This record gives sequence, structure tokens and C-alpha cells, in this order.
Amino acid sequence: MGKVKRSSAIVISSSDDEEDKDFILKTNSSYSKSVPVRRTRKRVNRTPLSDSRSRVFQDSNADGFDVIKRFCEDFDQGFPQFKASSGSRRNTGLWVDKYKPTSLEELAVQRKKVDEVKTWFEERLRTSVKNSYSNVLLVSGHAGVGKSATVYAVASNLGAQVHEWNTPTPTIWQEHLHNSNSGIRYTSKMDEFESFVERIRKYGLSSMTRTSPSSIILLIDDLPVVNGKFAYGRLHRCLHLLLRSVHLPTALLINDYGKSDSAEYNTRYWEELQLSLLNAGACKVTFNPITVNSIRRTLSKICRYEQFEVGDEQIDLIAKASGGDIRSAITSLQYFCLKPFPVNSQSFSKSSVTHPEEDMDKNNHLNGGICLPFGRDETLSLFHALGKFLHNKRESGILSEPDRNAILLKDKFVRLPFKMDAPEIVLCQAHGQTRAIADFLHENVLDFVNEDAIDDAWSVSSYLSDADFLLGTLGGTLTRNFEAENIIQSAAASIAVRGVLFGNAHAVTSRWHAIRKPKLWQAEQSLRHNKCQMVSEWNSIHSSSKLCKFSVIATEFNPALNWLGYKVTKDSESQQVSTAVNNGEDDCFDNDTCDDEIEDW
Amino acid sequence: MLWVDKYRPKSLDKVLVHQDIAENLKKLVTEQDCPHLLFYGPSGSGKKTLIMALLRQMFGASADKVKVENKNWKIDAGTRTIDVELTTLSSTHHVELNPSDAGFQDRYVVQEIIKEMAKNRPIDTKGKKGFKVLVLNEVDKLSREAQHSLRRTMEKYSASCRLILCCNSSSKVTEAVRSRCLNMRISSPTEEEIVKVLEFIGKKEGLQLPPGFASRIAQQSNRSLRRAILSFETCRVQQYPFTSNQAIPPMDWEEYVSEIALSILKEQSPKRLFEVRGKLYELLVNCIPPDIILKRLLYELLKKLDSELKHEISHWAAYYQHRLRLGQKAIFHLEAFVAKFMSIYKGFLIETFG
Repeated sequence: MGKVKRSSAIVISSSDDEEDKDFILKTNSSYSKSVPVRRTRKRVNRTPLSDSRSRVFQDSNADGFDVIKRFCEDFDQGFPQFKASSGSRRNTGLWVDKYKPTSLEELAVQRKKVDEVKTWFEERLRTSVKNSYSNVLLVSGHAGVGKSATVYAVASNLGAQVHEWNTPTPTIWQEHLHNSNSGIRYTSKMDEFESFVERIRKYGLSSMTRTSPSSIILLIDDLPVVNGKFAYGRLHRCLHLLLRSVHLPTALLINDYGKSDSAEYNTRYWEELQLSLLNAGACKVTFNPITVNSIRRTLSKICRYEQFEVGDEQIDLIAKASGGDIRSAITSLQYFCLKPFPVNSQSFSKSSVTHPEEDMDKNNHLNGGICLPFGRDETLSLFHALGKFLHNKRESGILSEPDRNAILLKDKFVRLPFKMDAPEIVLCQAHGQTRAIADFLHENVLDFVNEDAIDDAWSVSSYLSDADFLLGTLGGTLTRNFEAENIIQSAAASIAVRGVLFGNAHAVTSRWHAIRKPKLWQAEQSLRHNKCQMVSEWNSIHSSSKLCKFSVIATEFNPALNWLGYKVTKDSESQQVSTAVNNGEDDCFDNDTCDDEIEDW
Repeated sequence: MLWVDKYRPKSLDKVLVHQDIAENLKKLVTEQDCPHLLFYGPSGSGKKTLIMALLRQMFGASADKVKVENKNWKIDAGTRTIDVELTTLSSTHHVELNPSDAGFQDRYVVQEIIKEMAKNRPIDTKGKKGFKVLVLNEVDKLSREAQHSLRRTMEKYSASCRLILCCNSSSKVTEAVRSRCLNMRISSPTEEEIVKVLEFIGKKEGLQLPPGFASRIAQQSNRSLRRAILSFETCRVQQYPFTSNQAIPPMDWEEYVSEIALSILKEQSPKRLFEVRGKLYELLVNCIPPDIILKRLLYELLKKLDSELKHEISHWAAYYQHRLRLGQKAIFHLEAFVAKFMSIYKGFLIETFG
């Protein structure tokens, strides 16, 4: 990349042309060899063929190319510097699509995994259609680790044709109205998927393809999104049917959010689904995040093709920030190259002159990697964050000499530095709600306080009380000031978390702990229920006499009534109570997810 | 029917405690149009009894014919409509309700109901426009905004309706509302008064009261007449004829609180704190209000505490009671109080006994 000596513009373009030709040749050859006809396209802008063609006919104005060219002119006008640096090159489409790997060699995925997938498909394609073992391969991995790319590349390598489950486009409401007026019934995506599976099972692909079904790979990339137990059950059944009776080798791609994305609510469903499919005999290949090295290699290659001079450090940075997601890495690179970035000849000599921006980026990266203009923000699960707070890991050993500028604290206020990011950053990454975090901390923190340190327990609970006080000021007002609320919320979260961290001065040595869900939620729910029940019972006894404060009923009348042996007939108000319970349940969280257990982080 | 209801004085003439106040109220109503009233005082002191008797004095027997209904109000609040459901108790002349049950929508309730009442004023026999009375319970639990809107509506509709407010502590009612009302402080009855009432009931029921028995009930009642009568009745059910040393059945939740207090005094550690938390949840779930728990807990703890510490502990109890009111989740503050107590008490124990 940096090696290309640029003496004149002409030299460069010639050398580039060579490379381009190489590239085209390679891609073309692979296409001609295998002829993988992509009949279905999931994404509209996945147009590798037209891309490569546009490179070939860059001087002849082919139809359809005009549009792109004009678009790029606009683009170039918008970025004069970019134009200057890239010269007459056009920038067609997304690089992600443009540099989509078409052969096994181009894949950045781990060699071993690719081989695994390849051998699996080879076996399935070689043996007869009716074989004893199942024909489903689960490919799981994070987003952007090249799951579908691998399948496509393997397919083209084996000369097979990929048939992808054509995800129906979502129906928008107007469309639905229009359709229902014209008599077309709405079918849910789930229904469509079910009927697709049904067709595949019964007739194979013969109904849909004209080519001989000698070597077809079925690819199911987008499973329908399910919500709730019922829909999940349907999907489950459907997939099991598929698993049992499909004759074609099928790759089922599953996005593996579980570990990083706490926001994804129904990850548990996916995990269960995977497990049950595995038990039913499916094979599974788990893709690891792509290593920084291979991302770096790919990025440098792209830079070379695109004639951008991007420093090693930047590529390194992008590769690291992407977190193993090659798609986002490539997009980041493209974005990065869009920047009016002075690529002048002086900086080519040797990258001794580092850009100030780059330095800044680097520093930011060191500070926790959240300020990069590209790349993925790291996310934490709520439990991970709670674990960090509760275990209260700090640097061991003696404090280093305090700075002269630092405020001197009394010994009892001094704590060792954190072994983690600032609590606010962790909170940010875990994107939890303040209320929930406070409740969880409150429920669990006592487990982590040393058995003798009741003082610590007090300071922790006093901070939690402060946090609750702040949160309490939010309620009760109708004229809401969202800005202020936000500040109060984050202040409360900060107080709760830092209070727990500070207060727990003599933390117990870390051991395995289970994090409980707050009992408070359950208590509140049953409180509401009891209250409704009590009031309605009371009203039914003393139907005409008077209104009474429930606190008086609870503290004075009910104990007395118990002594007097009053028995209340509950028939009349049972209905009322049950509705009250339902109301109560509505605004309660589904607590199942909270029973997870964490280990020592 | 419970004795509490059975022997509730029906008219202002018949009250046994607060006779002076009853006398004044009677004069107030008979002589002139009555102003807005604010009754405040501890629970079990006879506020509601006085109010009911007052209503009867004003409107006669028709004030007794009340019906309970769950009313739904649709309130237009700018961009959206709010649905509020409340239980009301109403006769032709008055409406009684607990506006604080509506939670943070209480101010709409106050505004809306008063407006509605003002619209349909009853016309009395002489063709003069009368007024309706609105009894609002637990005014101290109203939000600040609701109290402000109460103030405005009070002024606007004062011609057509009278408010009778009832609460435990006037300090939680805004100054503006207080100054627009005639404040009636209903103090707790003294033990002698309670004894008098109990003896009256005993006579009516034809019971033999051993000497000193009534005063023991009165002592245990915490100067709440309601409580005294209730425990009198339970004693009657438990054992009759009475013996002078008969045990008076305590409230179950109070026993539970004293259990908690004992366990706090026995051991001070995070683990124990956690156990206490579980017990506090138990109380809260059974609808015992947190501030009452805190008060009772303090009472139980103070009983067994060295006098040196009493001041400090009371200070912290007050502090956390305030927090309790400001905050959202009671358990946080209750627990903080328990933790603080444990911390102080442990320090004290170590200091004295080493």
C-alpha cells in the first residue's frame, strides 16, 4: 500500500489497472468455473457483478452506469479533497459488497472453520440425497464474521448453487390497508416461512428452479423474528420439521448476540433453539470473531485496490475497534477514506509524520474506545456490569505517591483505584435503567460486604437511599422536564454505583456469587394485590358505612377482625381482585431473565 | 357490627370526647354559613366521627343515606384525556373521597370533582341555593400540585361548595390551604377519656369490668380510641367474664416488629441486615405503611436502648422518615435506618464492653 512509488499519475494508473485486471480475472474465473447463480438477493445493494463490470467498462458508457457516475460526480463535488486525492476514480457502491469474497482464499474467516463448513457440504453433496443423518448445518457467530460469505464462497468453490430463503419485505400499514381492500389477505412472515419450509420439505426446490437440482445449497439467513412463547413454539416446530425431512444440505445462520448485547431481549430463545436443534442432530459450526490480523490484511488489500494511502496505525485502529466484525471494519474504512484527508505525497515517504487526528484517535482508544468516529461501541450485559460493581475490583498493593495537585483525603476516604473503567462508562455500556440498577444493587450488595463491616453496610445503604431519593423526585409531577429528569437519572445512577463501590470498603474476597433478581419487585406486586383485595373486602363488609384509610384497615381493623374470627366471603370480589392482579402484572418486568447467575468476573 | 361503628356517636350532642369542639361546631353550623374546615390530628382521635356528626347536624338524617360508588372521571388534560377511577361515598348533600388514591393524578380529581359539584347545586326548600360539602380524606398525602389546585378551586367555587379536609398532620398541608380553612385540631383522647368511653360501652353491653381493666386497655391503645375499642371487643371475644390480669391481645404486626427489633439487637452484621430486610418486606407486603413500621420499630428499639444513644437514634429515625416521604421505595430507607442503627449500636457495644 505504502510501497507504491508514485512518480507520476500515469504510472499509478497503469499499475492499478494491472491489479484491477487481476482482480477481475480472478473473480470472473471463479464465476465462470462455478457459475453460482444468485437467484435471490437479500440486500438490494449487493451487486458484485455489476461492480466488476463497471470497472471493466469504465470508459465505455454502458447503460445504467451513467446513473452511478452522475451520482459519484455529485459525491465528488461534495468532497473536493476526496476528489483531488482519488483523481478520476469513481466510488461505486459499498465496499462491503464490492469486495465481497468470492473464493475461499479471499475469506478472512479462520481457515479451520471454513474447512469444516466445506467438508460438511462436500459430504452432503457427494452422498446420495437420502442419507441417514441430518442435512442441517447451524452456523452461528456474531454479526459480520462472514457467515453468509463463507457459505457463498464454499458453494462457489464446490460449484453448487445457493438458494436463499427469500425474506419477505415487511408490510407497512398503508400497504396492508391497500392489500386488504383489494382482497389479499395478510400473511405474517412466520406463515410465509412455514409455507416455505413446507414446500421445501415436500417438493424440494424442483418447483422453483429450472436448473437441475444436482447441487443446491439451501441458505436460511434471516429467521423470522419471533415474539413470545407461542410464535417461538411455531418457529421451533417448523425448524424441527425442516431438520427432519429436508433433503438438501441446508445452512442455517444464527446471529449470536447473546454475549455482548444485553439489549437483545429474546436471546435466550435463540440459545434454546440452537440447543434443541443440536440435540435433534444438526451440526454446528461456531464462527469466532475475525482476528485483528486478518481484518488488517483485508483492509490493506482494499486500500491497495482503492488506491488510498491509509497508515498502518489507522488500519490497525479500525481493525481493533471493529471487534471482529469485518463488515463494520470495511464500512469504517470506507467512511474513513471519505474524510477530506490530506493524502499528499509528503506523507508517503515514511509515516514519521503522524496526523494529529490519528493521535487523538489513539488516545481515545486507550481511554476506552468510545470516542472513535467509527467502529462498534462495546456493550456489556447488565449482569456483567453489576458484577463489576459488586465485586468491586481494585488495584492491589499500596497507593502510589499521590500527586501534589490531588486533593488530600483522610485515610478513611481513600480507596484504591478501580480495576475498571469509570463507573459511568460501564453504566453507559450496559445501558441499564437507573431504577433497575439501583434495585439490583440493593438486592445483592449485602452479599458482598464483609461480615464484620456493618459500617460499610450502612454507608452503602445510605447511598442507595440517596439514589432513591433522587429518583423519587421524578415521580409525582405531571409537568415533566425531560432534560432535568435525564440529569437526575444519571446522577442517581452514578450515586448508587459509586456509593456501592465506595461504601464497600472491605469487600469480601471474590468468590462465586449468584445475582438474585430484586425481591422488591415481587414484594411490590403482592403489595398491590393485597391492597386491592383488602380494600374490596372492606367495602363488601361495610358496604354503606364509610371510606377508610387502608393503613387503618391494615394496622387496626384487620388484626382485630382476625381475633374476632370474622370470615369474609370472597366470592363477590374475587373477580375484582383478579383484574387488579392483572393490572399489577402488566407493569412488572418479566423476571425470568433476571435469574441468571454470574461468576466471578 | 363492630363496636367501633355501633357506638360511634351519631350527633354532636352525644360525643363523649372533644365535647367542647362539638359544641363549637354546632354553634358554627346553626348560626351561620360554615367556612371550609380542616380537621387534623392523630389517627383514632375522632376526626371522622366529628365530621359525620357535623354533616348530620347540617343536613339532618339525609346525610346518613350514603351510597358507595366507583366513579370514573374522564379528564381533558390538554393533549390527552386521563381516566381516573375513585371510590366515592355520597349522599344528596355531600361527597366523600380519598383523592390521594389517584396517585399523581390527584390534582385533576380535585379540580374535576369540585367543578362537577359546583355545576349541580342542590336547591333547598326555601328556594335558596344551598351548598354541597366535599369531604376529602388524607389531604396530607396529596401532592404539592394537587394542593395548589385545591387552593385555586377552593377560591373559585367557594360560593357553591364547602370543603371539609381531614388529615393526620397539618404540616404536610400547604400554608395556602391551611389559611383558607378553619383549622380544627383534634387531639388524641386522654387515657381517662378512653376509660370513660370503654366504661360507657361496657355498661351498654352489660359487661362486668374488673377495676383497672379498662385503664390497661387504654394504656396499650397508644391513645387511639378506635384501637382501644377494638381491643376491648377482642378481649370480650377472647375471654368473658374478664379477669383483671387478662392479657390484651396485641396486634400481630406489632409483635412482628418487636421480633425484628430483638433480632437487630442480638446481632449486627450484613447478614442479619439481610434477614431483617426479608422481614420488612413481609410487613410491607401486608400493607403496613412504612412510616408506621419505622415508628414502631424505633419505639421497640428505644425500649431496650441505653439512654446515651436514644437521642442519636431518634435523630436518624426522623431523618429516614423524611427520606421515606421524599423517596420512592420504602425499603431502601427502612433498611438504611436499620443499618445505621446496627452501626451505632455495634460501635457502642464495642466501646462499653470492649
